[in-house]
Amino acid sequence: MKGVGGTILWINLSTGDIERKQLDASMIRKYLLGAGYLSKIIYDLVPPGTDPLSPQNVLGIASGLLTGSMFPQSSRHVVAALSPLTDVWGESHAAGFWAPELKFAGYDALIFTGASDHPVYLNIKDDNVMLNNARGLWGKDVFETDDILRAQHGKECRTLAIGQAGENLVRMAAVMNDRDRASARAGLGAVMGAKKIKAVCVRGTGKLEVADPSNYLKHMDEFYKRMLENPFTPGRVKYGTTSLVELMQHIGRLPSYNMKQGVFEGYEKISGERITQEFLVKPRADWSCLQRCGRYTTVRKGPYEYIGGSPEFETQSSMGSRCGNDNLESVLYSHHLCNLYGMDTISVGATISWAMEAWDEGLITSDDTGGIDLSWGNHETIVNLTKMIALREGFGDLLAEGSYRAAKKIGRGTEKFVMTVKKQEIAGQEPRAQKSMGLAAVTSARGADHLYAFPVLDEAGFDDEIKKRFGEQYLPEMAERLNPKYKGIMVAECENYMVVVESVGLCKYGTQIPPEFYYDDVALALRIHNGLDFSKRDLEEIGERIVNLNRLFNVRLGITREDDSLPKRLTDEPAPLGPSAGEVVELDQMLDEYYKARGWDMGTGIPLPETLKRLGLENEAKGIVDLS
Amino acid sequence: MNTCSMYYSKVIGPEWSRVRVVRIEPGLDFPLFCRNCVDAPCITACPNEALFRTSKGIVMVNNKKCTGTGACITACPYSAIHLNPDTGKAIKCIQCGECVKRCPADAIWMSSDQDIENRDGDGEIRKLYEEHEQDLYGRKKQ
Repeated sequence: MKGVGGTILWINLSTGDIERKQLDASMIRKYLLGAGYLSKIIYDLVPPGTDPLSPQNVLGIASGLLTGSMFPQSSRHVVAALSPLTDVWGESHAAGFWAPELKFAGYDALIFTGASDHPVYLNIKDDNVMLNNARGLWGKDVFETDDILRAQHGKECRTLAIGQAGENLVRMAAVMNDRDRASARAGLGAVMGAKKIKAVCVRGTGKLEVADPSNYLKHMDEFYKRMLENPFTPGRVKYGTTSLVELMQHIGRLPSYNMKQGVFEGYEKISGERITQEFLVKPRADWSCLQRCGRYTTVRKGPYEYIGGSPEFETQSSMGSRCGNDNLESVLYSHHLCNLYGMDTISVGATISWAMEAWDEGLITSDDTGGIDLSWGNHETIVNLTKMIALREGFGDLLAEGSYRAAKKIGRGTEKFVMTVKKQEIAGQEPRAQKSMGLAAVTSARGADHLYAFPVLDEAGFDDEIKKRFGEQYLPEMAERLNPKYKGIMVAECENYMVVVESVGLCKYGTQIPPEFYYDDVALALRIHNGLDFSKRDLEEIGERIVNLNRLFNVRLGITREDDSLPKRLTDEPAPLGPSAGEVVELDQMLDEYYKARGWDMGTGIPLPETLKRLGLENEAKGIVDLS
Repeated sequence: MNTCSMYYSKVIGPEWSRVRVVRIEPGLDFPLFCRNCVDAPCITACPNEALFRTSKGIVMVNNKKCTGTGACITACPYSAIHLNPDTGKAIKCIQCGECVKRCPADAIWMSSDQDIENRDGDGEIRKLYEEHEQDLYGRKKQ
């Protein structure tokens, strides 16, 4: 096959053995690469009863079929394992330059099994692959690790690493790459920490041959033209995702005060406009990226001085409005700290905001916090706790477990302020103001998450796209943000497409928002880059297969419809303020429609035998679903 | 880089590209292009006289004469010449403009000292450049 490295490295950390295996063509027909390929490998190797932080867990890092290509936004890789945060399927994705570099070294994926008894890092220079002692790196932050490895192995190297949070088994720890790119969700940095694998340093001097070299640039020029002429692109370059603060405030979808409400009175102070005017150094693209949503920012002086990558809207929401914090410098600095220590800004901010609400209600006091004041908007507390969580110091040690476990431990009724699904903190989408986001958060295989489905077709007037994908009969309801009707159908379709996107290594920007590229474009790219012939229908079915396999992984661990639920606040308490005041999430209605669209049992949420048979998942279903 | 390696070698691979981009933290991304120096040290360094200047002032490599000694690479103060890993012959930017027309950020353009001076009214670009010169080329320009 063209356009790939062709080899997967299997690294047994217990024995130090490194094995090279060829990419399996029949697996690619069924699961593509990236998220799909890892779904199958980890499904086969990680049985129920596995402790996520034990050597028995398997950690995969895989690029997609188009990663390293010239297709717009094709830099991505996926990290996957049994999640130590959710205890179910865990996957997380990032952009950067690391995965293309891995391709140029000749590899498409790394599978880590076992665990080392001392810190190690993997050093890859083309054919030369070695596990090295990482004692000198252990305890270093992500930027220091990058500096040391590139000083030692060459400045052209690209690094992927965990910071102190991963070492300390913080359940919100991220796997970082290229310094400030994060596979942040699902706590997979802690899996690396448990396996004592600190970093992967890569230098690849090879090339990717493509299937249709004569027409490659011609097609890519056309893709580039479409992407650059899309009306969303200039705004994305100018603001990245930061201006979503203003847009979300406008529709009441900006989670504030631990999701009590969807509007924040201080939104202008943490806005994208302010970041752009006062703190932006420049937009920064990753490999083949035309959208350039990455930010490079600086706070020039004061206690929050730094220079580094990002933030995203999610951090402005989680460290800002969600904690009642309108001090933008502290939001930016907390983000920077999360990059240094390697943590998920969403879960960290959401966990702090849970503690703040419990404090506000008098359920957590300074006896619990060791004297730390958890008043809404106390920015010094937010910054301090970010460090303390990463280092598991004092009250931070409790919060490092995530809000679900922390509330279980403290009790006293603090559980009702936990804003999680399947133990993972809900991201910056107040679902009472966009119903599809509420459904997406519960159906996502990795626990609360907006990206597994990324159902944004009802967000910004994409009526034409809905017409194209689903047909006119679903309008206007499907396009209406507050209308639960047809959201089950939409979320199912979006999930199928998004797991395909994660399996070919593309970004959700350009494929979902704006929805410029769809299955036909992906199929064309796979043809000219890889020489693979997939129809739109083939790709849809692969997407459906991956979602069902992720579901089976979770069903095998005991997940049922009961677990596909939102905090009561979002389904039972009407939004108190703002443009979406009075709204709740009509979850049951949407879930019924979703299960029906999926071919899953309405009562249990388990895939029906005919669905599994249609997708060729009979072997995987054995012992879980009775197929007779 | 991708445009360059695809345009000339029909592959994707930074090592096949005639231009390279370096990233130096914090926050500097810089393309290394040939400047077609007036006193081009690569031309005089080549033992096979494989490098020559066209009537338009662009330094080019004569593939028939180049034997891949790498003397030009050592001589170049701007890290702007490389060996093609397949042919073993020297490759460098020849100002074809394929990447310029495809850069989505309009971050690169054909230029001259005079043009840069005109664009860089407040001297900001030159100041940044001089600050990082050593990082970019691993040595001070003579």
